[in-house]
Amino acid sequence: MMKTRTGLMLIAPLALVLAGFFLVPVLMLLPTSFGEYLPGSGMTPGVWTLENYTRIVTDDYYLEVIWRTLGLGLFVTLACLVLGYPLAYLIARGPQSWRVPLILLVVFPMMLNLVVRSFGWIALLTNRGLVNNLLIDLGLISTPLKLMFNLTGLMIGLTHIYLPFMVLMLVAAIQNVPRDVESAAATLGSSRIHVFTSVTLPLSAPGILAGSILVFVLTISALVTPRMLGGPTYKVMATVIYDEYMQLLDWPSGSALSFTLTFMAIAVIWLSSRLTKRWAGMA
Amino acid sequence: MRHMLRFATAATFLCGGLAASARAEELVLASYGGSFGEAIKACHIAPFEKATGATVSVKLNNSSQTAAALRATKGNPDLDVAFMDDAFSAQTNNEGLNEKLDRSKLTNAPDVIPTAWGKNDGYVVTMVSATAIIYDPKVVKTPPTSWLDLFDPQYAGKYVIGDISGTSGWQFLLALNKIKGGTLENVDPGIAAIRPLAQGSTVLYTQADQVVSLFERGEVAIAAWYPNNAAAAAAKGLSLAVAYPKEGAVGILPTMVIPKGTKKLDLAHKFIDQVLSAEGQKCFSERAIIGAVNTKVQLSDKVAQIVPYGETLKNTWFVDPDIVAKNIPNWTRRWQREVAR
Repeated sequence: MMKTRTGLMLIAPLALVLAGFFLVPVLMLLPTSFGEYLPGSGMTPGVWTLENYTRIVTDDYYLEVIWRTLGLGLFVTLACLVLGYPLAYLIARGPQSWRVPLILLVVFPMMLNLVVRSFGWIALLTNRGLVNNLLIDLGLISTPLKLMFNLTGLMIGLTHIYLPFMVLMLVAAIQNVPRDVESAAATLGSSRIHVFTSVTLPLSAPGILAGSILVFVLTISALVTPRMLGGPTYKVMATVIYDEYMQLLDWPSGSALSFTLTFMAIAVIWLSSRLTKRWAGMA
Repeated sequence: MRHMLRFATAATFLCGGLAASARAEELVLASYGGSFGEAIKACHIAPFEKATGATVSVKLNNSSQTAAALRATKGNPDLDVAFMDDAFSAQTNNEGLNEKLDRSKLTNAPDVIPTAWGKNDGYVVTMVSATAIIYDPKVVKTPPTSWLDLFDPQYAGKYVIGDISGTSGWQFLLALNKIKGGTLENVDPGIAAIRPLAQGSTVLYTQADQVVSLFERGEVAIAAWYPNNAAAAAAKGLSLAVAYPKEGAVGILPTMVIPKGTKKLDLAHKFIDQVLSAEGQKCFSERAIIGAVNTKVQLSDKVAQIVPYGETLKNTWFVDPDIVAKNIPNWTRRWQREVAR
């Protein structure tokens, strides 16, 4: 067993980096989130208020944005899981010779800049984009489908962008499921489907959980893609925070929203890890 | 030994010092990009570098990004001189982030229109543009004369207005609000009037140059947009014309500020002096198709027809930047909740 001291030493470099470049700056925002901002003259020194937080829970616009963000996170995570699991299963259990090319295909999009990928989706999804033009030329529709500046556009763009994270997590998890256990279940008369649902799937739960948390947190905090595919009307929390900071210059309000987003992410991670542990029998 | 070390240290310092003074001074400028940025480079940066021997490095920002940067680096800015729209300059001025401009250091100050100077000389207006009506004369046969022409059913689905995050967004909102009987304190009539228009707009553009491709593909025939961007696109062969509504266009005043705490105070003043100079203004106006503030500048007929000038300038509404700065978060929040939702 590794000594506690050795363990601490091993995580020290990362812990220091996180403390210095993440924790301290975040904590520095905390006082700002209780500050008062007067448009035209700036932040009032020495005045503290809870209004930035109360406004978030009383304003139905903010609530709508919060629910939309959470819903988007959930949908994108589910889409990535449903699309990613079969692919990960194929990579982990399929022919050896397919593995490297498939992993390369999964990783390949990540080599392109996020802005470029999002812009690619704009070219495809806009009113006069490739998809709509094709459908119109085929005579399937007469007016362009609204594929951007709404949930559809964000779902498509974000699922595409975060799918690799899910797949890579799942591949590792499925590979860790011992084949012997599956064989044992089969020997005892389980059908292939039953083996999958009662052995492979629960045993890959840690991977499902890790991949889901990763995709969910990345989705609810994504800024670039929602800005490009959501446009000025379909806002999520990250874009609202950006607007409060950079456009309205209301830093207290932006900070309060940032902390709300952070707490939501932590709460969801905590909740889902508890649920999954119970499901996988790890509790 | 110790003696030698001291000598070596002194020599290093000396050489370092000499090298630094021989190296050209660098001035960091925050400027808008696009055709505006190119014109700044050609008309102001090039002659400035030639005259002073300094180099200018440009940071491409919009006004709100510059204002946010000034606040974040308060007292120790990484910008030496910056372009911002007047409402943002007024905001940073009120926050004490602007250096008071020293008119004695600006040789061209006496030639500038007196209304160009901001409160306590915290900023100076360097050019005049506007939000007006731009249309495609191939589609729109009778030139529009009123902001209300955008409501004409024949343009349904073929017009575009800007999101409130851009200048034209809140300016068109205010223009409409005034027509419908609202005031700067009460924008209810404007919000109510603009909602159906915003909902039916092809998009709500957030970047000025987005509109170029909309006209190019024939997606729109009429827009609340900027004459200078329209003129730049027209120069590249697009069919576009400018109409000044009879209720008055809304004026846009890009200003310059010197962030408080810059170590390049003299150089920054020299740059502003260049921007205000008659030659600089003339060159910039002709190139970027924007009105000048230097009274010695004579615009060519081509430019005078496009920018607010003479009669159209007299008719242009210049909204008090302090009032805009005070109200824009409120207008924006109402827009997000009641117009674009």
